Amino acid sequence: MKAFAIPLLVAALLALLPLGVGGYVLGLLTLAYYFGVFAMSWDLLFGFAGEVNFGPSFLIGLGAYSAGLLNHSFHLPIWICVIAGAFTAVVGGVLLAVPALRLSGPYFGLITLVAVLLLQNAIVLFAGITGGEIGLDIPDIISIDDSTNYWVALGFMTVSGMILFGLSRSSVGLILQASGQDAIQAGALGFNVTKHKLAAFCVSALFSGLAGAMLIFYMGTASPGTVVEIGVGVQVIIAAVLGGRRTILGAALGAIFLIVAGELLRPLGQLSTFVVSAVALLVILFFPGGFLGTALHRGEG
Amino acid sequence: MPRLLDVCGLTKRYGGLVAVNDMSFSIAPGEILGLIGPNGSGKSTVMKLIMGIEKPNAGVVKIEGVDVAGWPSHRIARQGVGIVFQHSRPLHRQTVLENIKLALLPDSLTQLVAASHIDDRAHAIAKRVGLGAVTQRRPGTLPFADLRRLELARAIARDPKIVLVDEPFAGLTAGEVRDFSELIASFRHDGHAVLLVDHNVKGIAALVDRAIAMYLGEFVAGGTAQEVLTNETVRRVYIGGRIETAARPPRDTAASDRLLDVQDLSVFYGKAQALEDVSLHVGAGEFVSVVGLNGAGKTTLFNAISGLVPSQGSIAFDATNLAGRTAAQIARGGIVQCPESRELFGDMSVRENLDLGGQHLPRAKSAAQLEWLLELFPILKSRHSQAARTLSGGEQQMLAIARALMMQPRLLILDEPTLGLAPVILEQLSRALEKLRQTTDITILLGEQNVTFALPHADRVYVLEHGRFVWEGDPQRFAAEAGDAYLS
Amino acid sequence: MQFLQILIDGFAISSLYGLGAIGFTLIFGVSGVLNLSHGAIMVSAAVVAWAVAGSLNAGPYLGALAGVAASVVIAFATYLLVVRPIQTSRRIPREEKEIFVLTGTLLWGIMLQEAIAYFFTSNPKTVRPLIAGVVNIIGVRTPNQEILTAVLSWLVIGALWLLVNRTRQGKTLLAASINPRGLTLLGFELSSIYLFVWGLYGLLAGIAGVLLGAFLGVSSDNVGTLTASAFSIVVLGGLGSVSGSLLGAYVVGYLETITAYVISPSIRTIPVLLLLVLVVYLRPQGLLGRR
Repeated sequence: MKAFAIPLLVAALLALLPLGVGGYVLGLLTLAYYFGVFAMSWDLLFGFAGEVNFGPSFLIGLGAYSAGLLNHSFHLPIWICVIAGAFTAVVGGVLLAVPALRLSGPYFGLITLVAVLLLQNAIVLFAGITGGEIGLDIPDIISIDDSTNYWVALGFMTVSGMILFGLSRSSVGLILQASGQDAIQAGALGFNVTKHKLAAFCVSALFSGLAGAMLIFYMGTASPGTVVEIGVGVQVIIAAVLGGRRTILGAALGAIFLIVAGELLRPLGQLSTFVVSAVALLVILFFPGGFLGTALHRGEG
Repeated sequence: MPRLLDVCGLTKRYGGLVAVNDMSFSIAPGEILGLIGPNGSGKSTVMKLIMGIEKPNAGVVKIEGVDVAGWPSHRIARQGVGIVFQHSRPLHRQTVLENIKLALLPDSLTQLVAASHIDDRAHAIAKRVGLGAVTQRRPGTLPFADLRRLELARAIARDPKIVLVDEPFAGLTAGEVRDFSELIASFRHDGHAVLLVDHNVKGIAALVDRAIAMYLGEFVAGGTAQEVLTNETVRRVYIGGRIETAARPPRDTAASDRLLDVQDLSVFYGKAQALEDVSLHVGAGEFVSVVGLNGAGKTTLFNAISGLVPSQGSIAFDATNLAGRTAAQIARGGIVQCPESRELFGDMSVRENLDLGGQHLPRAKSAAQLEWLLELFPILKSRHSQAARTLSGGEQQMLAIARALMMQPRLLILDEPTLGLAPVILEQLSRALEKLRQTTDITILLGEQNVTFALPHADRVYVLEHGRFVWEGDPQRFAAEAGDAYLS
Repeated sequence: MQFLQILIDGFAISSLYGLGAIGFTLIFGVSGVLNLSHGAIMVSAAVVAWAVAGSLNAGPYLGALAGVAASVVIAFATYLLVVRPIQTSRRIPREEKEIFVLTGTLLWGIMLQEAIAYFFTSNPKTVRPLIAGVVNIIGVRTPNQEILTAVLSWLVIGALWLLVNRTRQGKTLLAASINPRGLTLLGFELSSIYLFVWGLYGLLAGIAGVLLGAFLGVSSDNVGTLTASAFSIVVLGGLGSVSGSLLGAYVVGYLETITAYVISPSIRTIPVLLLLVLVVYLRPQGLLGRR
């Protein structure tokens, strides 16, 4: 349980920020925290189950849009919409994963990518309901106050992080790792690999959908450009790889780094994405373990 | 006595290739059975079929009366089968203890914390296999033998009724082999059974109660280890029949004549030592045979010479050290290998395969060389435009050799050319090699398990066993001195 | 009337898709890499061609040449700076190399895309046509450039076929896609072969990009769609099969064109995506794939 202590301490310190920092920074970090949950969910799937999801924005978008639509069209309270959003993401995830897990390597990645494109097209196609490319207006929001939003996001990220991290360190996480590293060996040890990978997919979908839903209630709008873009998905992947795959917590670090760095580089204009991608590429080439992975490197052999 | 494992009519086909054909055998509780055969005999496939890693096309696999054929491997594992794979693949970021604990976990999605007794049991298993002192270490820090122990620990963790072990002693020293044998033998005291799969009868003879020999997917012989060792069919399949040698004119190989000079060569695959301080030399124009069973290290030796695997020691060709050269450079420099796997371009025609071999030569020379080779291997002429993968085994072998010869090598390395070939093809091959020797000044290094094929042409013979040369001399003396020891 | 229009337009776009897809398949077959920066390389070629032709006032032909040259350079850079370092890296475990190469080329593609947007803005650019004017084919007014696109594409495809099947170098490429180890044993340096194939790829992608730029116009926003198209076509046709890529290109090209004309241009990618999903589930090796 020692491993939980440091992250919780960090979270506690971060909770103190609103006392001294302005709304602009708080807003930035709020966004980063939701992003952190996206990235951590992705890492559970990739770092542990060994499956590369090239379209995390499919799950995020499903959660966001179903929650948003319920609120926009039926004016249901936020918490019901959020739960419904998460549920939809899980259902969508299962529908995607069951057949997709039969495929290997590049084909699995391709299908996840195609899923995002299909969702994007569907949203645009049914623009009458979904608001199309312009987006959906969300009547309810979590709060107008920057600090409240910040604490909600921080709390959400901390709880999600603890659950995901705890899962990764648990017996189930161990089985998942074995399944991802060597499916044949795992089968020979008596584990139903498909079942475990599917479960991992569901957990990843749950948290991605949940975070996506919460995000739009923070922003007040939902549009394909923010939650269903392939670009968003790529950012999630970069965040997880930068932070360190197979660490869960590293992914959150990577997400915060990306959002903050993107903001700091804003004066560069167009080049900011270029710089961030370049840095990510260099990290892949020279520090494949990412920030946390390289820092915790312990002679894997 | 009720049988623990009952295999009946087991068959597996991969497309047109029959890997296992109608295998039937059984193992009683407390028995250790050895399944032996050369590469391609189907023994590993049988093991995979029992474990559920491959699904059989026909046949029954009963574990204590329950037919598990066709079940997914995780169900078969829970039914009471454990397997030790040939290559160790532990989880590197977990400790030894955690790796063993993994094997003890139930296949549950919801149990987040392991039951308390699992920890104790894991410790007990670690102690039993001899890892008691290193439970907190990570696999990356352990020596090779301990990694093998870890694999054994994981396989026996849930107390399976049958343990399948693939090449139990590969890469182990004599002392480690003894320890492992004891461990495996101890397993039978619990009323469990063991199936050992190996190339080498000799290595497991002491440990097994019974043995079964396989060849080309079929049952060849069965009985006690001794009976199988001395069985005529087995000997023929392994060493090719009676050892006959023709008188050879004595050659004087002065040291300056050494075309290939290998000194103190060692090769490691990760932690496993595949070759240990091996030295050999081949004189210009000589024909040297390296004989040894599968797994002895012949392929590793040849791959080291060809620059395909890194090695320690020195390899000199024509008095020049080969260190630092790429494999392609070494091939262009005159050492051409025709490997056991042949590495043909299956979708390309015979003619195209040969042309590729001759690409480094000027067109005229390449054409002339092609002509000459088609004379040497007339069967290739008739199959000129056929795709390489549609040729029979023997034809593919000849194509592989012919293609290698297109490069006009000074040293031709042949790795197990006779593997899986019918006797009549061996005849043709033998004659082709003879003609080659008579008409050119080519130097040949041959690696073979089939002694009958390897001896008649050879000027000198080396015997390779477990990565070390154990005998060297001329063919006449081999029959007298090393011949019997070879198999037994 | 519309039928003829669809026939002609569909043919032209399919030929272009085919050219791009063949390059993509070539790299996968020989080098084993699914290059996710494919679209970026094509757009780079088109944008350079536009810039040289227009801003430097060098005319469309020199512009096209410059575009193709730029594409070759970028292709080499992709291999030497991104792909090869990952493939030979000792820090990345063997099982993860493929995923890292995919992610690496993805990042590289984004870098190229952003660089293009930075230097040339993301406004669409149309490369000035190499042959101006319009011709009348059975009542359908077709720009000469469109005919040139189809003709050139097929000329290049034909030349490639000749190269692979009739020349020594080409046979080597074919062999490399079948069995690289076999080539090493025969004294061929794989590293030179890989360099050659990436250079060839740069040529193909460059020509396809320049032609696309003249035909439909490009912008840095097209990068993702182009890569996704190529990827889909190649999977549809069968990873590693050149003839499969051609077939796939025509299926996709025509499906898109028909959808655009008959239903609406904005959803022209949907039927293709649905078809792709079907193929991946029912016949994952593609229409003509062998592996």
